[in-house]
Amino acid sequence: MQGVILPERQANNRKVNGMINKYKLDKILMKVEKPSRYIGMEQNMVQKNPEQLDVRFAFSFPDVYEVGMSHLGMHILYNLINNEPQYSCERVFAPWVDMEEQIRKESIPLFTLESKEEVKNFDLLGFTLQYEMSYTNILNILDLAEIPLLSKDRDEDFPLVIAGGPCAYNPEPLWEFIDLFVIGEGEEVTLELMRVYNKHKRQGYNKAKFLEEVQKTMQGIYVPSLYDVNYNEDGTINERFSLIENIPQIIEKRMIRDLDSMFSPEKMIVPYMETVHDRISMELFRGCTHGCRFCQAGMIYRPIREKSVDRLMELAEKLVDSTGYENISLSSLSSCDYSQLHLLISSLMDKFEDKKVGVSLPSLRLDSVSIDILKEIEKVRKSGLTFAPEAGSQRLRDVVNKGVDENDLVNAVGYAFKEGWSRIKLYFMIGLPTETDEDVLGIKDLAYLVKDLFFNRPPEERKGNFQVTASASCFVPKPFTPFQWQGQDTIENFHHKINLVKKEIRDNKVSFNYHDPRVSFMEAIVARGDRRISKLILRAWEKGSRFDGWSEHFKYEIWLEAMEELEIDGSFYANRNREFTENLPWDFINPGPSKKYLISEYTKAIKGETTRDCRLGCTGCGIEDCAMWGVFN
Amino acid sequence: MILRTKYTKVGYLKYLSHLDMVRLFTRTFSKVGIPIKFSDGYNPHPKFSIGNPLPLGTESLAEYMDVELTEWIEPADFAKRINEALPEGIKITSCWETEKGASLTSMIAWSHYEIRFRTKNTDQASEFEDSLDRWDKLSEVFITKKKKKGKIKVDRQVDIIPLIGNIIYKGIDEDGFHIVNAFLRTGETGNLKPIELVGAIDRELQLDIDLDMVLIKRLDVLADENGEIKELA
Ligand code: SF4
Repeated sequence: MQGVILPERQANNRKVNGMINKYKLDKILMKVEKPSRYIGMEQNMVQKNPEQLDVRFAFSFPDVYEVGMSHLGMHILYNLINNEPQYSCERVFAPWVDMEEQIRKESIPLFTLESKEEVKNFDLLGFTLQYEMSYTNILNILDLAEIPLLSKDRDEDFPLVIAGGPCAYNPEPLWEFIDLFVIGEGEEVTLELMRVYNKHKRQGYNKAKFLEEVQKTMQGIYVPSLYDVNYNEDGTINERFSLIENIPQIIEKRMIRDLDSMFSPEKMIVPYMETVHDRISMELFRGCTHGCRFCQAGMIYRPIREKSVDRLMELAEKLVDSTGYENISLSSLSSCDYSQLHLLISSLMDKFEDKKVGVSLPSLRLDSVSIDILKEIEKVRKSGLTFAPEAGSQRLRDVVNKGVDENDLVNAVGYAFKEGWSRIKLYFMIGLPTETDEDVLGIKDLAYLVKDLFFNRPPEERKGNFQVTASASCFVPKPFTPFQWQGQDTIENFHHKINLVKKEIRDNKVSFNYHDPRVSFMEAIVARGDRRISKLILRAWEKGSRFDGWSEHFKYEIWLEAMEELEIDGSFYANRNREFTENLPWDFINPGPSKKYLISEYTKAIKGETTRDCRLGCTGCGIEDCAMWGVFN
Repeated sequence: MILRTKYTKVGYLKYLSHLDMVRLFTRTFSKVGIPIKFSDGYNPHPKFSIGNPLPLGTESLAEYMDVELTEWIEPADFAKRINEALPEGIKITSCWETEKGASLTSMIAWSHYEIRFRTKNTDQASEFEDSLDRWDKLSEVFITKKKKKGKIKVDRQVDIIPLIGNIIYKGIDEDGFHIVNAFLRTGETGNLKPIELVGAIDRELQLDIDLDMVLIKRLDVLADENGEIKELA
């Protein structure tokens, strides 16, 4: 090769046909448990001729196929990109452990479902970050695709690796692996990015130049390699600084103002295998006004923006036609809040009556309005009902600003029993700020109250087989919530509280289950982590961590060993109460609500003071030029 | 009205499980508005049955399904409408009206397969044919089959020669796979899986076949009426 000058960018001639060996693929598919996870070919899959494409995007949900395919965001982005004739989007999921073993044995580089082409031949590889415990899967996917894990080790011959989604609001724990983060809603910015990428590709793509340009010019982009951080002696962050000039100090999130004119999918891929969410998903609105203080989504997706009934009806018709699904799930953060819910549901029921298409609501509020609607849409199937009081006592529900009380529960459950439901699920969190043993025992009290409500009915009015399940997760204080300064309960404390409830529940009609506190501890470390946590994720992956969100695969010992080897103190990240003055690792991102507002909410929380739903009047969360002002105030 | 339907399952869709196929047909029927009969009961499901489902990973040109309809419909029209909604690889090739009678599974007695594999010892078609001549001279070949006895599985020796109708060598394809067509017994009265046959050939003739990469396609299934081999009616 001596003396030969290579063109500046070989990647411009990136192999168009790097299809993996189909016999090798056959050989391994014969050996895995669920081969249809890896074959694609579903109804509404899009496959394009690579010769006619400018930019090819591989989209990855870093979990197993049936989980990823149940995620609405994937369907949005997939159709958004494929809607553009010159771009394509293909899918890649985390191969399940049996498949990983086979593809490593046969040395087959990870491939996309659509063209069965190697992921490393794509222009962009994008991950959606929905859950911190999927981060080791990201490293595994990169490794299986034969793509270097670290951003600095990837030159122009490899895809640009990007990431977005709710967990990108604290991008720092992944800073070494990801070239560029998208902060906020992706519909507009993804296409903008691809356009700029295409422009660079035509001129001879240089990764560093591209990254600099988008960091300088585009809102909602964060390129971690253009910034650095130094630390105080106590381990907290001293300051963040830019490594080049003219790049923003604060990264503003992207948000779409008008949901009606925004791209919305009219098709969804219909998987062959059973998935977690086997139906049409239709987004009614974005944002939430309740202001629950533990909820990150409720803060970062503000303000509320709705789609119109007309637009939704138009989409529903197209989605039913293109998928053949028989159920439409109205999915949003708190779907019952949709201002035209009654009109929408009755229009949907009218329209699809003869097609037998049903409607379902994934989240319910504890009020009779919700049950009324439910009664209408679930005429036959009286399956279980789920409510989320979140905390066992009224005092603690006020602390977290969950605006429901025991009366609401009594009314809603009583109404549900009257209408024929008999199985109730109650969701709680343990480890909430200011929580005492008494609050925790309230979980048992509420579960027993529900039981009594059922059996206090006259025998002839008790329908079905009664069961109440109280389910508790271990609270993880998340960035950009009023509780972001709060330390998490220790694992021992969680166990103490779990045992309190467990001991008290002795009734075969009442069951109690809970999440593994060790998983929540690791989740807190990563979710609240800074740049130093990237080493921990890498080490845990090297030691064999995969699918940490799956209890059968979560290996706590690996994480403990990795922390010990790297001298990382998990409690520094998870359990320590932070000062309001501390530089938090994610402070450089502006999600909308201001820090001042989060502090005032935290202060009110500790005093047990509640804050009203901001549709009843702005509560001053700090969003400039809020889209809701004209609508509700 | 009962429609007997013959369809294909080829390409990557050979990896769909029986359950996946049931889901696919259920959705397709409702999508194109076929007047299919539903079972009674609390959880009604559409009435159709797939005969003799294939093991995962086997292609087929001859899958059969009986579908019960509430109204009469022209069979050709049925096939056309369903085919428009089915994915590439799964297509109805013929369909006709039939009477309620013996179940598909109980009728099927023979399968005709195309089997492809590579060997390390013989990459010449002629050599392979010579080896097969040796096979033809064998009067009995025993293989071990697992048989369920209550909860435990016990090994059982079975002579497979009576389960073989014929074996015909077809040559080598462009990727170096030997192609063999074979008629094998299928069903409750005797069953030989193609992979069992290939395993036995490999062992008896010492060909060093790559048993991890045996590609199987079912070409047809046939009924046995008092010793007469027939198409399914
Ligand atoms: S600015 Fe006011 S109305 Fe808008 S989201 Fe914040 S609190 Fe609600």
